[in-house]
Amino acid sequence: MKVKTSELNGIYVVGLSGKIMGGPESVQFHDAMKQALAGNTKRVIIDLGEVEWMNSSGIGLLVSAYTTLKNAGAEMKLARTTDKIQSLLVITKLNSVFDSHDTVESAVKSFG
Amino acid sequence: MKSLGELERLTDDLIRGAKSGAVDPRASLELEKLTASVASAQELARLRGEIERERQEYAMLEEVSLRLSSAAEVRDVLRAILESLRQVVSYDAAGIFVFNKDLGVIEVDMLAGYQGAQKRRVYSKFQDGVKQGEGIVATVVFNGKPLYVPDVTKDPRYVEVRPTTRSELAVPIFVRDELIGAFNLEADRAEAFTDRDLRILTTFASHAGVALDRARADRQRQHTRRIEEELSLARKIHMGFLPKTMPRFEPYDIGGMNFPSSEVGGDYYDFIRITNDDLGIVMSDVAGHGVAAALLMANFRACIRIEARAHYAIETILTRVNEFLTETNPPDSFVTAVYGVLNRTHHILTYSNAGHNPPLLIRNDQVKQLDVGGPILGFLESASYSVSRIQIEPGDLLIFYTDGVTESRDLSGEEFGVERLAELSRRYASLPAHEMARRISHDVYAFQAPDSTVDDLTLSVVKYD
Repeated sequence: MKVKTSELNGIYVVGLSGKIMGGPESVQFHDAMKQALAGNTKRVIIDLGEVEWMNSSGIGLLVSAYTTLKNAGAEMKLARTTDKIQSLLVITKLNSVFDSHDTVESAVKSFG
Repeated sequence: MKSLGELERLTDDLIRGAKSGAVDPRASLELEKLTASVASAQELARLRGEIERERQEYAMLEEVSLRLSSAAEVRDVLRAILESLRQVVSYDAAGIFVFNKDLGVIEVDMLAGYQGAQKRRVYSKFQDGVKQGEGIVATVVFNGKPLYVPDVTKDPRYVEVRPTTRSELAVPIFVRDELIGAFNLEADRAEAFTDRDLRILTTFASHAGVALDRARADRQRQHTRRIEEELSLARKIHMGFLPKTMPRFEPYDIGGMNFPSSEVGGDYYDFIRITNDDLGIVMSDVAGHGVAAALLMANFRACIRIEARAHYAIETILTRVNEFLTETNPPDSFVTAVYGVLNRTHHILTYSNAGHNPPLLIRNDQVKQLDVGGPILGFLESASYSVSRIQIEPGDLLIFYTDGVTESRDLSGEEFGVERLAELSRRYASLPAHEMARRISHDVYAFQAPDSTVDDLTLSVVKYD
C-alpha cells in the first residue's frame, strides 16, 4: 500500500494505491489522517482509484478513518471506488454510510 | 618515522654488536641518527615502556576477546571493554552508542566517567533525536569516519555535557561492514589523544560491535519467541471457542469446519440451542488477526450467546451486540456476522446479516444470497438491523462462510467467488453436510495460489434432507 497526500481547494486528498490489507503498513495511512487533522482540515477525500485489491482489513482502515475524522468534527468522502471496493461496501452495508463518488472532482463539489 | 618494533630491533642489534665487538656499520649509522633523535637513555627507556604498553594492549585485547566468547551479558562485555581500554588509553569519559535504524535515533548503550546529572543529559539529548552536524558522536554515526577534536572549544559541532572535557575522540562501530554506532572518548586536557589511541580505540570498537551484534540477535530471538508464545495461546483460545461437535437437529444435517490461517484468525462460527426446536446459527469474522482479534472474538461470542438466549427478536439481539461492541472496540476493528434461527417444526429460517458475506440458499438451480440486515457490528453507535424470514424446503442447502472462502485468489489474482462456491455446493449436494464442507474447503485450498495471503477459512453447511 502506498499513501499520497495532496490538497485541493482546502480539501485534504489521501490517495491510496496497491493492495490494502491493513496490518502494520496502515500506520502511514493513520499518519496521513493525523496530519490532515493537525492542519485543521475539516474535509477529507480518500481517493481509491489506484487500489489494486482490498480485503476486510482494508475496510477496517476506512472505518477507523471515518471514526477518527467524525470525532474531530471532520467529514470523509470516498472517490473512485473500484468494483471490488464497491462490492465490499455493499456486503458490509457501508455503502449507505460512506459517501462515494466516481471522480475526485465530484467528491470535491459534493462538499459544496 | 620508524615504528617502535623497528627501533626495538635496532637497539637489540646494537647491543648484540657491542657485546661481540663487531658493530654493523649500517647499524652504527642508524645509531648516530638514533642518538640524535632519541637524545638520551631515558628516551630509550621510554621507548621500551612504549613497547611494553603495546604488549599489554595486545594482552588486553586478547582478554576482551576471551570475555566476548563467553556467553556474558552485553552490558558486562561493554563494561569490560571500557575497563580494559582504560589500562591502555587514558580517558576521562567514554560512551558506546548505537544507531537505531527503525526509530532513526541514536541510543546510549554504555557510559563511563559521566556524573549522575551529566549521564541524564546524555540520555535526554539523544532521546530528543540529534540532527546532522550536531555533536561529535552524531557526526561519526552519520558519516562513518573517525573524528578527533583536539580542542572542543574550537569545534562548532561539539555539544557540551561535561564542562571539564577539552578533547574528544570518536570512532564508528562497524558490524560486517554495516555502520551500527560510535565509540567515543573524552579527556579533560586538550590534545589528549594520539594516532595510537585512535588505532586502539578502533580495535576496541570492533569488539564492541561484535558484542552489540550478538545482543541484537539475542533480543530478536527472544522477541520472536515471545510472539510465538502469544500466538499459540491466542490460537488455543480461538480453537476453544469453536464447536467441537456438530449439533443433532433432525431432519437437518449440519456440518462445519474452520481452518485458521498460520497467524491467529478471527473467524468464529457457532450453533446455539435456544429451544428444542430452535437452533441459533452464527457465522462471523473479526477484522484483523492475532491476539487483538482473538480478544474481540471472545467479546463477541460472550455477547451474542447471552443476547441470543435472553431475547427472541433477532433485530434486538444484533442491535444490542452492536451497541456493546461499539462501546468497547478500538476504532479500526469490527465484526461482520450473520445470525439466524432455524425452526425445525415450521422449517423457517429467520436471520439478519450484519455486513457479512451473504450465506447462500441453494434450491435446485436457484441461488439466493441472504443479505438482509444492517451494517458491520462495532462501528456505528445507532445501527438498525432488518430481519428476513425464509421458508426452507426439503432438498434446500444453506451455505454459511467467511471471506477466506470467496476471496481466496489463484495465481492470476482471480477470486474464488460466490459462483464457484454455489457450483461446488451443488456438485457435492448428495454427500453428508460435514463431508460437503470438507470437500469445498479442499477445493478452495487447491484453487489458492501457493504463496497468497492465507486468511481463515470457515464454512458451515445446513442440509434439509
